[in-house]
Amino acid sequence: MIAPLYKLGYFGFDTSLIFAFIIGLLFGYILESSGFGNSRKLAYQFYLKDMAVLKVMFTAIVVAMVGLLYLNWAEILDISLVYVPPTILNGQILGGVLMGLGFVIGGFCPGTSLVASAIGKLDGMFYVGGALFGMWIFGEIYPFVQNFINGHPMGRVTLPEWLGWRPGVVAFLVILMAWGLFKVAELIEKKFGEIIEGETPME
Amino acid sequence: MKKPQSKPYWNPYFAGLMLGLLLLMTFFIMGRGLGASGGEMRLVTYILSLVSPEHAQANPYFAKYLKGGSPLKAWLVFEILGVLFGGFLSGYIHGRLGFKTDHGPRISNKGRWLLAFLGGMTMGIGARIARGCTSGQGLTGGATLSLGSWIFLWVMFIAAYAFAYFLRKQWI
Amino acid sequence: MHEVTIVSGRHNHLIDPYLTIWHWQIPTYLFLGGLVAGLLFFSALYYLRGKEEEYPAIVRLGAIWAPILLAIGMFALFLDLDYKLHLFRFYMTLRLKSPMSWGAWTLITILPLSILWAMLHITSVFPKWRWPHPVFQSVVSYTQKKSKLLAWILMVLSMILGMYTGILLSAFNARPFWNSAILGPLFLVSGLSTGLAFLMLLSKNHEEHLLLNKIDLMTISLELFFIIHLFMGLLASSEVKIQAAKLFLGGPYTASFWVLVVGLGIIIPAILETLEISNLGKRTRVAAVLILFGGILMRFIFVQAGQLSSF
Repeated sequence: MIAPLYKLGYFGFDTSLIFAFIIGLLFGYILESSGFGNSRKLAYQFYLKDMAVLKVMFTAIVVAMVGLLYLNWAEILDISLVYVPPTILNGQILGGVLMGLGFVIGGFCPGTSLVASAIGKLDGMFYVGGALFGMWIFGEIYPFVQNFINGHPMGRVTLPEWLGWRPGVVAFLVILMAWGLFKVAELIEKKFGEIIEGETPME
Repeated sequence: MKKPQSKPYWNPYFAGLMLGLLLLMTFFIMGRGLGASGGEMRLVTYILSLVSPEHAQANPYFAKYLKGGSPLKAWLVFEILGVLFGGFLSGYIHGRLGFKTDHGPRISNKGRWLLAFLGGMTMGIGARIARGCTSGQGLTGGATLSLGSWIFLWVMFIAAYAFAYFLRKQWI
Repeated sequence: MHEVTIVSGRHNHLIDPYLTIWHWQIPTYLFLGGLVAGLLFFSALYYLRGKEEEYPAIVRLGAIWAPILLAIGMFALFLDLDYKLHLFRFYMTLRLKSPMSWGAWTLITILPLSILWAMLHITSVFPKWRWPHPVFQSVVSYTQKKSKLLAWILMVLSMILGMYTGILLSAFNARPFWNSAILGPLFLVSGLSTGLAFLMLLSKNHEEHLLLNKIDLMTISLELFFIIHLFMGLLASSEVKIQAAKLFLGGPYTASFWVLVVGLGIIIPAILETLEISNLGKRTRVAAVLILFGGILMRFIFVQAGQLSSF
């Protein structure tokens, strides 16, 4: 096992921030190149016109998931050292509902709004302002809601552990599901599609 | 000099492949995934600690980010700094820079800005409740097969579809 | 419970002298000094080549901004002095072995000359400009006759000014991080590049902007080369210098230096400039703003880190 490099002590925290910047650069570059700096393209996902969000997201999940499992199997990367977001049912369900709502109202998620602001989109900038404001509100009300939103914590639990199946089986099902979703997305786009393929140049 | 035309967006499957490889590289180098809202939270904490340090320290949520030096010296803060410049570079290279507002034909720019702010606010609160946004929970949790993240992902998609009808005037 | 075994009296407060005595004034001056060196150098250079009509921002606007920024920088330097009334003592002596003496004399020569240089160009920038007294007009007419000589003197002096901002630091033997011969050239090219960036913000002419881009791309490439050499030199040296270099290679200044100064202040502008030169992107001022930001931050970080590094 030679990875994760940081967790195995190949470099320290201060150096890891350089990697953070480089990884962020690539992340922003990919998001913008996908067209995710355009709120209409993102929102069209929910009006069945442009399914790019679903396609990009599930392709990325599948690629990274398969890669992780492969690297673990090949004894290159120790998967048990990789951070898995903990499961806290109350928070994730309530947060999920609010974020679904926020997505169709605002047209972005936090990452894509940063990219949109970076290329000059004014709605992106208003969105970032709103997000910072919302986070401040959350911090202020946190003492009153912490019991609820931290309710039903289950810790670091993965789908294979929870189902009691082998990771490979779960991964296979996820791939199958993604493939099914892509097929459906293609059908939907054929029927209702109105794909936004690029930005019109500015005057 | 002739004006550069905006180039088309990437094919979504290709973009997904690139994003997946980047996510895998992040796991390989750092043992953690991508994120965005965590970095913004630290920015909020930093601003608050400038405005009113006592108030920030007294609140258990902000205090958590104030432990151990400046809240800005953090992995996610440097990552979102990169996101901003990476997005800018892509926009520059593809000829997509410019101050504009995207919205459907049935809403004005100002209406769109108001909704963008409100949407951002809702998302900001939601992202902190869920402990991560689409990147932190969706991508990172999705790829590591976190149970809670998969629940979150589906709840978010379903909620967005459920609420979409009421906001159709903004987009179509 | 954290236990500390005291093995030396140096743990006591103020047994070691208080070392970080330079605050914002010095880095501000170093930044402005370097920037002015860049402005004056290119203004004089393109004046001598007879390009003042073609490149008005470089020759004229640069000349006008130079004494203003230099005066602000010198004021910052003055604020740093503990005994402000003793300022005159700098000018009671000339010590060839002291970089501070060199600097003091350079500054006192370059300020009036740069004012003369600005006066020469002011009427072509502001056509309605009227001198309040005929004396000014005669000074300008006299300078006009000697303008080539003045340009040559300014080119030489601006080089000394730019170098000196780095040599001021590198002359401190007791600060291992600064004590490197490469600091002079590094600060010079960095200063030239901030000067060019400042001119890019002033320039309204496409050809001129492209020229500035090209020169700047060369300067920042050179700057990057010097930075790498600085660290290679420190790492190949004695243990104290290796320790000093480690402040930037895994130590507390790693992220701010490599991400903010090198990444945002050099590499991203270099990418933007390359794209603009090769006509792949349209004109943007972002590169110039980033270079100025990187330049000022580099001086703040170098001054702070140098004071932290010690034997």
